[in-house]
Amino acid sequence: MINVSVGAVWSVARKEFLHIVRDRRVLILLLILPPLFTLIFGHAFESGDPTDVPALLINRDATEQTQRFIDIAKKNKTFAWRIASPETRNAADLIGHHVQAAVVIPPGWSASLSNGNPQPVQVYLDGADTNTAEQLQGALQQSLAEFQMAERQVTIDALPAEVFDLGEKLPVQVRKQFTSMMEAWGVDAHILYNPKSRFIDYVTPGIIGLILQLLTVTLMACTIARERESGTLYQLMVTSLRRGEIVLGKVIPYLAISAVIILLIVLLVALHFHVRFYSPVVLAVICLLFLLCSLGLGLVISAISRTQTQAIQFSVFFLLPVFVLSGAFAPLEHLPAFIQWVAEIFPLTHFCRAFRLVNLYQAGPSFYGGDLLVLTVGVVVTFVGAAFLLRRIEQ
Amino acid sequence: MAEPVISLRNLGKRFGNFEAVRGLTFNICPGVIFGFLGANGAGKTTTMRMLCGLTRPTTGSATIAGGDVWRKRNIVRSKFGYVAQRFSLYRDLTVVENFRFFAGAHRVPAREVEGRIARLLRLTDLEKKRDDAAGSLSGGMRQLLALGCAMIHDPPLLFLDEPTSGLDPVHRQRIWDLLYDLSNRGITIFVTTHYMDEAERCTEVGFLAEGKLLANATPRALIHSFRVPLLELNIEPVMPALVRFRDAPGVLGVSLRSGQLRVYSAEPKRLLEQWKTQWPFPDLKLNGERWVEPDMEDVFTAYSQGYSVMLEDGDSERSEDTPEKVGLKETLRDPSTSLGMTR
Repeated sequence: MINVSVGAVWSVARKEFLHIVRDRRVLILLLILPPLFTLIFGHAFESGDPTDVPALLINRDATEQTQRFIDIAKKNKTFAWRIASPETRNAADLIGHHVQAAVVIPPGWSASLSNGNPQPVQVYLDGADTNTAEQLQGALQQSLAEFQMAERQVTIDALPAEVFDLGEKLPVQVRKQFTSMMEAWGVDAHILYNPKSRFIDYVTPGIIGLILQLLTVTLMACTIARERESGTLYQLMVTSLRRGEIVLGKVIPYLAISAVIILLIVLLVALHFHVRFYSPVVLAVICLLFLLCSLGLGLVISAISRTQTQAIQFSVFFLLPVFVLSGAFAPLEHLPAFIQWVAEIFPLTHFCRAFRLVNLYQAGPSFYGGDLLVLTVGVVVTFVGAAFLLRRIEQ
Repeated sequence: MAEPVISLRNLGKRFGNFEAVRGLTFNICPGVIFGFLGANGAGKTTTMRMLCGLTRPTTGSATIAGGDVWRKRNIVRSKFGYVAQRFSLYRDLTVVENFRFFAGAHRVPAREVEGRIARLLRLTDLEKKRDDAAGSLSGGMRQLLALGCAMIHDPPLLFLDEPTSGLDPVHRQRIWDLLYDLSNRGITIFVTTHYMDEAERCTEVGFLAEGKLLANATPRALIHSFRVPLLELNIEPVMPALVRFRDAPGVLGVSLRSGQLRVYSAEPKRLLEQWKTQWPFPDLKLNGERWVEPDMEDVFTAYSQGYSVMLEDGDSERSEDTPEKVGLKETLRDPSTSLGMTR
């Protein structure tokens, strides 16, 4: 494996490249599907917050004050309100009403707000998807808070002059305290690392990584299995080719095609979704290591499978947990610690983390160095492992 | 005698409890066309794959041009070409692309590649098909292409695993013409086959049964190893005769040749006299008989069915043209080589 000849590697690479070019269907899939997936995924995750969620409003307290609340709630873009008749009884039947939320304003609600014993508004939320319910409740709470501040102003405007005279007699300290208490206390939030709060910026490495992981592992896994299936592997073994030359020759064309696919995806994401890419060189290094790691995994699968069918089956079983647990679409930190440890095995996890550290956090090498190291170790382990497993072919 | 190209010393292969090849010892000299015969599963392909360094021998060793076929396989591989039993070139690549790939894989110097391809295209008569996908070629052309690719690095030795199986007689002839052509240029050829007419075209033949070498000699020596003449009967109707004779006393076996019944027996002359005095099959009519020279098919039948009583011992006076003749009868008498149908 030490005296690798460039000519021999090149002859394998050229042959492998011809296989890809000759198989028109696969070539078209390779060039069409990744950009298509990018478009679909990109638009699917474009905005993180729900909008125009169908919601039902049942108002059993027809007053001017209640109407003011309804007007504020209608401005909230989260909901697309449908006003139901006050007699509607089955407010909790959300799917019957084809809505995800139902709000019931009880009779005498506005009166309760004024008489010192404010009643809560009844809200029914679709909790099947845990995230949505919380987001809807938050949005509703926000509308209610807005309404409360508006009502306070109305109350202050309506206060008799004696109250203000009385207030002026109070010590300055108490007055200031009182004024403060009347203000809504807020936060001055600085949203860092993804200032536009766009999910597409977060999910870009997930899309690139997922598509490439899928393509490289399955395609690479099929190459050696295909030669074994068609009997050409023995023909290959009686030539002067060394194992290292065969492996290198098989990796190079897929590396080249993957690079083209990455370029296509990056162009699409940059031009269509206006995602910006910082430090292209570092990102290229991260992509290269990840690709080599995936190709190495494909080689290992290829070496242990007897047929192409087996190779595909092994690939799918490996890729399934990767898709769910690698943090491509959702932050890993939300998962239990044990699962996070499992996720550390997958190259996609490290790829996504390193990519985000560079592109979102614009962090230095001290932050993503660890992930690069893990990917490098992965490359070495998979390639050495594949070369070792391929020894068995000769026995 | 010249240095042997291939030398086997007690070469054997065991798969679990199954002994596929048992202690083969023989030499093959340069320029020889060695025909390796044997029934399916006799161990021919396993032996060939051991010689090609594709599978590790479990006992003994073999050398090609002095290099151990397993330990020095990376060096030995440049000294031979191999055509597998199954068509194993790249079907989606064209004829020329297949040639180019194997040229690169065998490290043929770049400046020589195109010249060699042109020469091999002429030799295999594939010039018109040079840009056709290998998978679209007919069976005969595929085999010619496989042979061409196996010779791209000018090896002095060729291993061919049933190169003509499934081919029509025209293409079989075409392949054999090519093999003779190569043999004339001094290339040693190691070929396995099922066809007995092809065995006769070899300069040397080895018989393998259940992983053991039963005989290794020239086709002529093997044919002459019959101790008794062969009796051919003209009988009507012939099909029932085939069944009846099989179990007749004194008969080892029978075969049908061009409508005639060929009888294998240790004492055919006595048997014929006996039949002429008293014909034991009243429903069958004997129209005539003649004595025939055995051919390779008869040799194969005798060896593979274990009709050792028909054969001479290895020390007959004709054995001077036999380079390496294994003790034929000794092998057959060996109880470990029970050949199934021996009576």
